[in-house]
Amino acid sequence: MTNTSTVRLPKGPGSKPNMFRSFARSFGVIWSNKKARIGVIILAVFVLAAIFGPLVAPYGATVNTFPRSANGSAEHWLGTTAAGEDVFSQLIYGARISVLVGVVAGGLATVVAVVIGLGWGYLRGFVSDTINFIVNLFLVIPALPLMIVIATYLQNGGITVIIVVIVITGWAWGARVLRSQTQSLRGRDFVIAARFSGDSAPRIIFREILPNMISIIASSFFGAATAAILAEAGLEFLGLGDSSIVSWGTMLYWAQNSSALLTGQWVLLFAPGLCIALLAMSLTLINFGVDVISNPRLRETGSRRRRGPKGTPTPTDQAGGDADRQFNEATEGADNVDVDVDVREVQQ
Amino acid sequence: MSSTTAGRGPNGDARADDFLLEVKNLSVAYESDEVPPVQAVDRVSFSLRKGEFVGLVGESGSGKSTLGFAITRLQKPPAVITGGNVVFDGRDIREMDPESLRRQRQGGFAMVLQSGMNALNPVRTIGHHFTDIFKAHGHVQRKDWWDRARYLVDKVELPPGVLARYPAELSGGMRQRVSIALALSLEPRLMVFDEPTTALDVLVQHAVMDTITTLQESEGFTAVLISHDLGVVLEATERVMVMHKGRIVENAPSDRILSDPQNDYTKMLLSHYADPRAEKVSLPGFEHFTRADAGVDTPAGETGRASRRLVVENVSKTYPPPSRGDNPVRAVRNVSFTLEPGQALALVGQSGSGKSTIAKLITGVEKPSEGRIAFGDLDVTTLPQRRLRRLHEDVQMIFQDPYSAQNPVLTVEYQLSRPIRNFTQLRGNDARDEVRHLLETVGLTPAESFVTKLPHQLSGGQRQRVVVARALACNPQVIIADEPVSMLDVSLRAGVLKLIEDLRRERGVSLLYITHDLLSARLVTDDILVLHEGEVVERGATTDVMLDPQDEYTRALLEAIPNPARAHEERARRHNRAESQ
Repeated sequence: MTNTSTVRLPKGPGSKPNMFRSFARSFGVIWSNKKARIGVIILAVFVLAAIFGPLVAPYGATVNTFPRSANGSAEHWLGTTAAGEDVFSQLIYGARISVLVGVVAGGLATVVAVVIGLGWGYLRGFVSDTINFIVNLFLVIPALPLMIVIATYLQNGGITVIIVVIVITGWAWGARVLRSQTQSLRGRDFVIAARFSGDSAPRIIFREILPNMISIIASSFFGAATAAILAEAGLEFLGLGDSSIVSWGTMLYWAQNSSALLTGQWVLLFAPGLCIALLAMSLTLINFGVDVISNPRLRETGSRRRRGPKGTPTPTDQAGGDADRQFNEATEGADNVDVDVDVREVQQ
Repeated sequence: MSSTTAGRGPNGDARADDFLLEVKNLSVAYESDEVPPVQAVDRVSFSLRKGEFVGLVGESGSGKSTLGFAITRLQKPPAVITGGNVVFDGRDIREMDPESLRRQRQGGFAMVLQSGMNALNPVRTIGHHFTDIFKAHGHVQRKDWWDRARYLVDKVELPPGVLARYPAELSGGMRQRVSIALALSLEPRLMVFDEPTTALDVLVQHAVMDTITTLQESEGFTAVLISHDLGVVLEATERVMVMHKGRIVENAPSDRILSDPQNDYTKMLLSHYADPRAEKVSLPGFEHFTRADAGVDTPAGETGRASRRLVVENVSKTYPPPSRGDNPVRAVRNVSFTLEPGQALALVGQSGSGKSTIAKLITGVEKPSEGRIAFGDLDVTTLPQRRLRRLHEDVQMIFQDPYSAQNPVLTVEYQLSRPIRNFTQLRGNDARDEVRHLLETVGLTPAESFVTKLPHQLSGGQRQRVVVARALACNPQVIIADEPVSMLDVSLRAGVLKLIEDLRRERGVSLLYITHDLLSARLVTDDILVLHEGEVVERGATTDVMLDPQDEYTRALLEAIPNPARAHEERARRHNRAESQ
């Protein structure tokens, strides 16, 4: 036992660090969670609809040659709008805008949140105080009025403006969450060790701390994307976006304009509303799965044994390796020794 | 092994009534959909007589805690009992429903956990913890509640005043005593102590163990003491079961384990205990280490790497009071010492003695309130944070916990390459070769198979070797080792200590070894400083201090070291006393 150098190497899943493998494993964990699985399926339907929209949709989104305000029929499943467009086709094309805004605005807001949140959490002193002031400013200003003000100021600039508005108003919450996590990681031994290794602050933030926060960043992305989709629909509905494009928000806007409810065409309001709700719900459901990655105890069907530093961001890996090691240890040694206690001997 | 297999089938035994607990072929597995089940406990059988105090010893991963949880049916998924049965007082607890199990906890079995002291509700007073239990089980009349609570805290040697206090107002040792008293409040017939003292300080540990043994004798409950420390277990218990890889490999009276261990694993565990006060100390890997060796074999000095001395002059560190109205915390008081090039100096003391604060001050992580620290011509006390790199080129640190000192998502190669890149001229292939060379230096061979590993794929000992390698990567003059082996299994400690010792002698670096463990200090250092409440109470050559301690506190620390041999004597003494009565 004096020479531990010959100790057998544990073989675990992912003996080599491999991005694809760890991604596949994370996806497996999400998939194993019932709620998240439903979310993934719903999201997949919308994403496929967005990508293959032109192939799937029966008509073009802006083709207005059909009878106006028709009810649902074999030709037009969900009827037509007051302008004579096919509602079902619009719904499919509308998915493109919502998915796009969700991914781009949610992604950008997360990037801003990560850069600011991590820097804010790691640095101390004047820089930290300044960021603190700015973030608090963005947190206390009510988001919707601010969005409306910025959107009107920028004047119907189309989807880009909407994305910019959403990013400006949407990053602060994520930054705050990431900052707290960074602060708790900053005091860890491995971060101090990196300082002893002579690494610079940016390198420590992005190479040591960031990879440990992937799951919390992912969850903040899904949260931001949900908020972005809802905000986009809201702005479009209020007529602050470009009302000539086809999105779920503009569909609601035109439906409201043509008093669809009064004419009994509730589908015009109901269908895009349901789609927005479903897409937002799918992202929230996926977030349940992401939670499971960062906290294996939430797993529905038996998690693996956990050990090691608390709250490490990839406890899946951690637990996996340990379990494997213990498994190897447990399966070593072929003889089975049944040990019964001899009471008489003990008493002697 | 004959002694352990002869008594098979206690069923047919006429004295089966004597057994409080019988475990037969119990297997517990950790099940998961993603990996094959892990067999943590593998067909284990044993019995406990009424009133017996039995120890369960094993290293981490041996399944000892899993077994402890399984016999009290506190195991949680993913742990699943896959076979065998546990008969407690004639009833198989595997077949009990949750409600009868809950009722069983009164007058049945109770468990005291390692983290038991953190299991207290911070917003309820200690007294309320007791009344909550009385309320839930209804075995004590309402008017007797507080009398009963006072009686129980008295049992664990606490004043009745603690009942009005909140958990945060008590020390770790007191909280652990409270959790023992809480377990006692249900008058259990079986108590399972799972590492009850591991999270406590050396000296407190001793006192709490004393309380447990006394209680066990006076109350007469059956007890199982689970611990990784054979020394602690042998001191307290009558019979010891040694667990290894999910099986009980030895089960014998404590005396016999000590005098005549049968199993190789038990022998190996025993070989890692030694008395630092002995003339000659030997551990596996440290065979010849006598008093004479220590002083004579001084390291190379000028020929070695270290050329600058580290001077600590009248350093004090005062932290602001934890809450308004309290006194400021004086962590370090007027400490002075010099670490000569190539010297190995031990800083010894229990937690709170200021030894880790001194490490932080020396490495520039914190600034002293008073005094001066200089490394060669570099004044550490005035060095701004961003210039600390200049200090870290030559002063490196080995961390206590190998599990938290490495980033879980970065490979061994990355971790080792950073100091090489930052502090040396080596680049590209040279740097890669250096990483492999470092791994070989710390005994991780073949190096190629380790470079791509992530920390979780390494064992505790291997991890600590990587931490050592990282500290060596920039070829430092001074290494500060903060309890480098305290988190490791006993059998791995000697290996890592030997590594530190060899590297120090080969490379001629200075070593500041921070520990509470006097045995390891004896093995790797020439000189010693004993700290108590921030002050140096004793200093001198390590062997001299160990063999002839002058200060009361040093003696107390020496006493507190678990020592199977001494346990043996103490046991004999107790036995004699019992017979003479």
